[in-house]
This record gives sequence, structure tokens and C-alpha cells, in this order.
Amino acid sequence: MKTRTSRYILIAAALAVILAVPAIWIMIRADEVPTFSLAWSEYPSWSAFGVAHEFGFINGKKGEIGPIEKKWGVDIELKEADYDTCLVMYGSGKCDAVCITNMDALIPCLTRKSVGILPTSTSFGADACIVDARITDIQQLRGKKVYGLAKTVSEYCFVRNVEILGEKEADFRFTNMDPAAAALAMQQKRDGFDAIVVWNPFVLETLNKRKDARVLFDSTTIPGEIIDMVVMTQESLDKPGGDKFAWAVIDAFYTINQQMAKSETRDETLIALGEKFSNLDLNSMRKVVQQTRFYSSPEEGIKVLGKEATAGIMEKVVAFCVSHEIVPEAPAVGFGSRAEAKEVAFRLDPAYIKGYVAKSK
Amino acid sequence: MIRQPISTRLTVLLGIISVVALLAGYTLLSSMQHLDNPDDTTIPTWSQLGEGLQRLIEANPRTGERWLLLDAEATATRLFLGLFCGILGAIILGLLMGCYAPIEALLVPPMSLLAKIPPTAALAVFFVLVGTDTEMYVAMIAFGVLPTLAQSVYLAVHDVPREMLYKAYTLGASQMELIWNIIVRAVFPRLIDAVRLQIGPAMVYLIAAEMILGDVGFGYRIRLQMRLLNMNVVYPYLTFLAVFGFTMDYCLRLLQRVTCPWFVRHGR
Repeated sequence: MKTRTSRYILIAAALAVILAVPAIWIMIRADEVPTFSLAWSEYPSWSAFGVAHEFGFINGKKGEIGPIEKKWGVDIELKEADYDTCLVMYGSGKCDAVCITNMDALIPCLTRKSVGILPTSTSFGADACIVDARITDIQQLRGKKVYGLAKTVSEYCFVRNVEILGEKEADFRFTNMDPAAAALAMQQKRDGFDAIVVWNPFVLETLNKRKDARVLFDSTTIPGEIIDMVVMTQESLDKPGGDKFAWAVIDAFYTINQQMAKSETRDETLIALGEKFSNLDLNSMRKVVQQTRFYSSPEEGIKVLGKEATAGIMEKVVAFCVSHEIVPEAPAVGFGSRAEAKEVAFRLDPAYIKGYVAKSK
Repeated sequence: MIRQPISTRLTVLLGIISVVALLAGYTLLSSMQHLDNPDDTTIPTWSQLGEGLQRLIEANPRTGERWLLLDAEATATRLFLGLFCGILGAIILGLLMGCYAPIEALLVPPMSLLAKIPPTAALAVFFVLVGTDTEMYVAMIAFGVLPTLAQSVYLAVHDVPREMLYKAYTLGASQMELIWNIIVRAVFPRLIDAVRLQIGPAMVYLIAAEMILGDVGFGYRIRLQMRLLNMNVVYPYLTFLAVFGFTMDYCLRLLQRVTCPWFVRHGR
């Protein structure tokens, strides 16, 4: 009896040690630097963060740090998820920063004050209206169903182009459908699918697979209006190390851009960016990064986050979101530092890119 | 003692306690999330949920549409049509498989395989077969529930006691009479049980399909409002789904009790 009891005690003690050692180790490691998380989904300029992890510039795992994180003294935790899931994660406060478009950022900013810290790219052809060859003019689409994901950049791109072409939005029937499903139906030449509005990779894949389909119009008519960016909550920025995290994220993004600029690492980086994004080959990926135009230098990024370049655009986007019931009320959008843009829900602030430039010198 | 019965009063009381605990748990979760961020909409408070409920019941000021009516009509039509086709097909195929060895040999392998495939993953096939309108949802539900249901019917037919069949033959029943008077009656309560278990999957398939394709319906509204972070609209929808599923289940159990009083399962 006695031996049995002592054996149990021994086993329990051994178990405790086995469990405690890694726990303590993790706690020690995590205590070294503050951890912040970035939620991202597969999209050319956002996959840069996944690639930065893959190439070893940062380590996206919690508690482990790569060279860039070491430089800034912060731990970046990457959380990859579907785009919609990223939005919910950010809205419910389960991540500090998120990769999001300037339009969708207006939704969570009503409940979590947000700051756009880094524009990553703009859609320059990456959102397109693809039509059957018989359709040559937008007027032929009147009364026909145009499929695309409702209340997203797809609908925005469609509505803006309709306006530019001098038509009325009410004459068209924008119908909700997931872009993957719409592209599929278009490729199968289903009846009634004369027009779809989708984003890449579906634009290029549909055009590759259906030679008779063509682009009626795309986002090249509205350059700089659809901006892909990294948005962070004001609350996280205020935490100790929040600014370091912003600098490290910016550093990681520009590091990948430098890899793309160098001829010896360019193709490898492009392949890595496109690997999970689609099954497009290297040539198509070259096109993708043209259509999703990267803001590849800090100078460009600073300009985009400035009032002169983007205030008018944000006004248009906010008006669209209000009129299409994407947001219940217009969020206040401001530019510059907190002192310059008081009490706004969504603030675009180039200070973090500037800080990164100043500290990198 | 294991399985010792308790009084009806206690049963009801415990049932109420569990539901109250569920609601209290949600209230706690919501208030914790609101401590973290007072403006949060992802775990709405009861008053936020009330506003959401109002939004989906009242006519939309801009379009005059009532979301709940619109969505319920679309989703219910798709679901019932899909279930009807699936159940009807399953009864016919299951009976044939159970009664005739060649058909059994022919159909059992594909049914066992198809029963394991989530139909939403085979979207492209449905597009080609039936297009993208209501037929697609119907086909998706029907194909989703049919293999499993057909297998249940087939197994139930096998469980019909041989003595009953021999007796009917001895009394001079024709094949059709035997199927209708003996097998169908014996299988019916087991079919109801199987259908009860398939309502959940059918709803999952439909909601998933609506999330991808729909421009009206529960799945469409849930996905859209989730992206807009209006969880106070999403959760009432989920509640409606739960209540609907529960009601269906209850009705089927009632049907079973009324039509097959001889079929007594232990307990209920």
C-alpha cells in the first residue's frame, strides 16, 4: 500500500515538472518583449507579412522573435484568417492590427478607434467588371444582373464606374454572390451570367480560362480610391511598445518590397507572395502586382496617408458606405496626429512611417 | 443507481435551470466584453440585441423590405423543397435497396461513399447540373441528406422480422401489398428518426450555400451582417434557426407518436 502511494506521488511530481517547465519557459520568453498581433488574409500586398515570416525576417509565432522584431524590441504575432474573419477578429478585439481596405476599416472604427498606419497597395485593375463578349457597352447591362459581393469594394468599384460613365446606379441590378462562385459560374458560361464584378485572383483566372470574356471596366478608373492598408487600434498604439510594433510591421513590409525590387530576389519573392493566393504562374503574378500597385517606399506611404492625397477619397468612400447602409452613421475621419485630428473614429497617420524612416537611419 | 428515475417536477426544474444558466452565461460574456470596450458590437448586450431584432422585423426605411419575412420565405422554401425531394428519393431508393438484392449490390457502395461528401464542396457540379437558382439549393440539400437517409431506410428494411414477411406471403400477399402493408409501416417510425437527425445537416448545407451564393435568405443575411459587425442581427437569426430546428424536431416526434404508437423507444 505504502509503495503504491509513494509511486503515485512520484508520478504526480514528474507530471508537474513536465508541465511546468515549458510553461515557465514560455512565460520567461514572453516577458522579454511585448507581444502584439496582426491579423492578415491572403492578398498580394498583405501576404508580404506571411512571406516575411517564411523568409525569416520576422517570426510570426507568439513568443518567438526574428531579426526585425529584435531590432525594434517587440514580438509580432501573425494571425492568418479569411478576410471576413479578420474583420470580426479585429472588431471583437482579438488582434491589435488588421490588414483591411480603407472602406471596410470604416465598419470596426465605429466601435474601436482605429489608426491607419501603413498603406500597402491600391487596386489598379485588381477589381474588374468582366463581361461576356457580346456586351460592349455598359448600357447593355441595364436591367441585367451583375454578380459580385454586395457592400464591398466590388460594389464600390461598380457604382463608381457607373457614375463615371454617366449612368444611374438604379438602372442596374447588382446581385450578391461570392466572387469565387461568380467567377466559377462565369467560367462555366452559365445562363444569365453576362457580367460579374470580382477581385484578383478571380479577375485574371476568369480571363485566362474564358478567352471570349473581356473587362468592361476596372479599378484603373479610380486609382487610389481602394486602398489596402494596415489598421491598428488606438488602444493598442497607446500600450507600451505599441509604436514599436507599428514600426516593426512597417519595417517588415518595406523589407519585402526591397526584396521585390532587387533583381536576384524578385522572382522568388513574387512566387512566395502568390503561392497561397492563387494558382497563377509567375507571369500572371507579375501582372497581379501591377494591378495591385504596391506602395513600395516610405515616401509613397507618407503621401497616401496625407490629407492632400486622400481626404477627398475618404469623403467619397464614407458617402458610399452611408448611402449603401454599410455603416449606420458616418464615422469621423481625420488625418495626422492625435492632436491634429481630435476625437475621430478613423485616423490616417503617417507619423509611424516617418518614425520608422527616422529610426532606421 | 444508474438511470434511476427522478420526479417530473425535478426534470422540468433542471431543464429551466440549464436554459437560465445559458442566458446568464451569455449576459456575463457580453458584460465582460463591454467592460473591455463599451462600444463593442460583437457580443451585443440584450438592449443591443433588441435593437437588432427591431431592425430585422421592421420595414427598412429606405427599401420598405422586412428582412426577416423576406429571408424566412426564401430559406424555408428552399429547405422544405430540398428536404421533400431528398426524403422522397431516399424512401424510394432505400426501399428498393432493402427489398431487392441486385439493387442493393448496385447502390450500397455509391451511397456509402456519397454520404460522406459535404455537398457545398461540390458547388461547381451543382452549377452545371441545375444552375444557380432555387434548384441549386434544393439539389444541394437533397443530395446532402439523401445518401444517409437512404442508408437508414435500407437498414430499417433489413430489420423487418422475417417472420412477418413469411406470414404475409403465406396469407397470399402480393409483392406490392407486402411492401406497402408490412415494410413501409414497419420502416416509417425509423424513417422519422432518421429525418430528425438529417434536419441539422440540411440546414447547415443550406446556410453554407446561401452564404456563398444567396442574395436573400438566412445565410446571406448572416454573412453580410457578420462582415458589417452587426452581431445584434446575426444572433437573433441564429436563435430563429435554433427555434425552427427544435420545432421541426418536436413536430416529427409528435407525428411519430401519433402515427406509430406501437413504436415505443425507451424513455421517449
